[in-house]
Amino acid sequence: MDPVTASRLLFDAAAGLAILFACVMVVHRHPVKSVLALVVSFFALAVTYVLLSAPLIAAVQVIVYAGAILVLFLFVLMLLNVPEEIRQKSGRPIHQTLSAAAILVFAVALLATLRAHGSPGAVPGSPSAPADIRAVARLLFSEHLLSFEALSILLLAALVGSFCLARREGSS
Amino acid sequence: MTALDWAITALRVLVPVLAILMALPILLWLERRGAGLIQDRPGPNRVGPLGLLQPLADVVKFFMKEDLVPANADRLLYVLAPAIALFSAMTTFAVIPYGATVPVGGREVLLVGADVSIGILYLFALTSLSVYGIVLAGWSSNNKFSLIGGIRSSAQIISYELAMTTAAAGVILAAGSFRLTDVVAMQTGTWFGFIPRWNLIPQFFGFVVFYVAAFAETNRLPFDLPEAEAELVAGYHTEYSAMKFAMFFMAEYINMIVASALTVTLFFGGWALPGFEPHGIGGAILSALIFFAKTAFFVWIFIWVRWTLPRFRYDQLMRLGWKALLPIALLNLIWVAFLVVKGWIR
Amino acid sequence: MIGDGIPLGDVLLASAALFMIGLAGVLLRRNAITIFLSIELMMNAANLTVLGYAASLHSLEGQVVVFFVIAIAAAEAAVGLAIFVALFRHTETIDVNRINLLKW
Repeated sequence: MDPVTASRLLFDAAAGLAILFACVMVVHRHPVKSVLALVVSFFALAVTYVLLSAPLIAAVQVIVYAGAILVLFLFVLMLLNVPEEIRQKSGRPIHQTLSAAAILVFAVALLATLRAHGSPGAVPGSPSAPADIRAVARLLFSEHLLSFEALSILLLAALVGSFCLARREGSS
Repeated sequence: MTALDWAITALRVLVPVLAILMALPILLWLERRGAGLIQDRPGPNRVGPLGLLQPLADVVKFFMKEDLVPANADRLLYVLAPAIALFSAMTTFAVIPYGATVPVGGREVLLVGADVSIGILYLFALTSLSVYGIVLAGWSSNNKFSLIGGIRSSAQIISYELAMTTAAAGVILAAGSFRLTDVVAMQTGTWFGFIPRWNLIPQFFGFVVFYVAAFAETNRLPFDLPEAEAELVAGYHTEYSAMKFAMFFMAEYINMIVASALTVTLFFGGWALPGFEPHGIGGAILSALIFFAKTAFFVWIFIWVRWTLPRFRYDQLMRLGWKALLPIALLNLIWVAFLVVKGWIR
Repeated sequence: MIGDGIPLGDVLLASAALFMIGLAGVLLRRNAITIFLSIELMMNAANLTVLGYAASLHSLEGQVVVFFVIAIAAAEAAVGLAIFVALFRHTETIDVNRINLLKW
């Protein structure tokens, strides 16, 4: 049995919180509450990233994902004034049963794979292998420089694209 | 971890938290008397000598007021919003170094809440989270003015966040590290023997952009249209009363203190003064006082500007943020990169 | 205070659970925005897997990969939401059951 250390307990707690709020997000009828549940879930995930020796990614997750992308979702929801979803009989029962079956099959297959390959050993926790931000930055700007520049062009394309898509017709 | 470790960690965190909480009433008094001074009137002078007990009266008022939740307001979010605002305001101070090292029990303890490797990124992460407090307050109040105020305010914050972080990126580039203790360490010493090595001098425009963006981030005049009294009743905190309103109020003042402290750390050398070598506990206390004095100066400028300048219209505000501050911040970044490559900055 | 020893199995189990929940959200919800949120959740589950393996193999490449994934997710969210806004202006609904005509 794997040893129970403080970082393992913290990881389990944070991951459990993330999973719990992910369930809330999927189940809740009101989209705004879903977004907020997802914010909490992402924050909990950021905690797990710190425990996996990735503090830079944890910060980027909170700044970009929880703090910008989900705020964008919230703005769009408020702009469109999306109402609470009314629980009604779905018009596609075949789709629902097939989806549920597919998810169950996939879940069983995933768990079987995990069990078959066993536990590949422990992950070293934070201070024994603290992630060097300079090393990550060095990688980003040397080996992956082309991808980095391509990413900036992608972001520019997304900026222009979303601006063109969302503006009202006939406006300047 | 020994008991001494726990005690040291607890004190490192508690001292700035308590200092900020105790500074709040003083700041409240300073704002109202300062407003009076600038507007050529006495300001509150009834409650206690020089009106010094006015903050106490305000706190009592906040406790006694009726705490209501509007009908049809989303209860959970309505109560959660000020908590989010206050939480993110208070936790940001953890990474700002407020003094030199203190020798305790045979080792040097840094006077900072948590010296994490991601330093200033942690601070920006929490600022991003504070947007939720505002937009939720506006939306959950079930009030048109609150909603518009909330949306305007959050749009303003995320726009100026860009300029602020780009200006700070210049400092990070020069320091080569996200840790604010490293940023302060690189600002010790002097050029030519008497000019302090503060980041203000090579990155003057970065400082200007950062400080102006800090005004917008904290929703202070001249950028306070979202909560302007004459425009939107009171913007996103229209429907809030008593303790919840007090929490928003506290969050705004704490944000002001943190923004000033951050400006001091990034551009004015933090607790460092040229020719000052802190030794031992006395040196650490002196350095903390120096930091406090510098921060207090910038907080006073926040108050001074509020009662002096008129407010920006919303479209002027957005134009300033995107078309003026962001390009200047980017140019500043390029300039700093040039300096670093040339080796003129450490 | 924090030492070693998060078993990789725990990490994989957590990310598998998150992925399943996201998948359920995509397949079973009717609200387009909630479907999009579930997709974001699935991407985060993938991020967690990559970071788990990166930490276990002492590699920093994993962090670079996740950095790119987060940035790409941002671009995709912006464009996707712009599409939703444009769609909503035409059809007045974001119930995916009703948006079922290729051309109207």
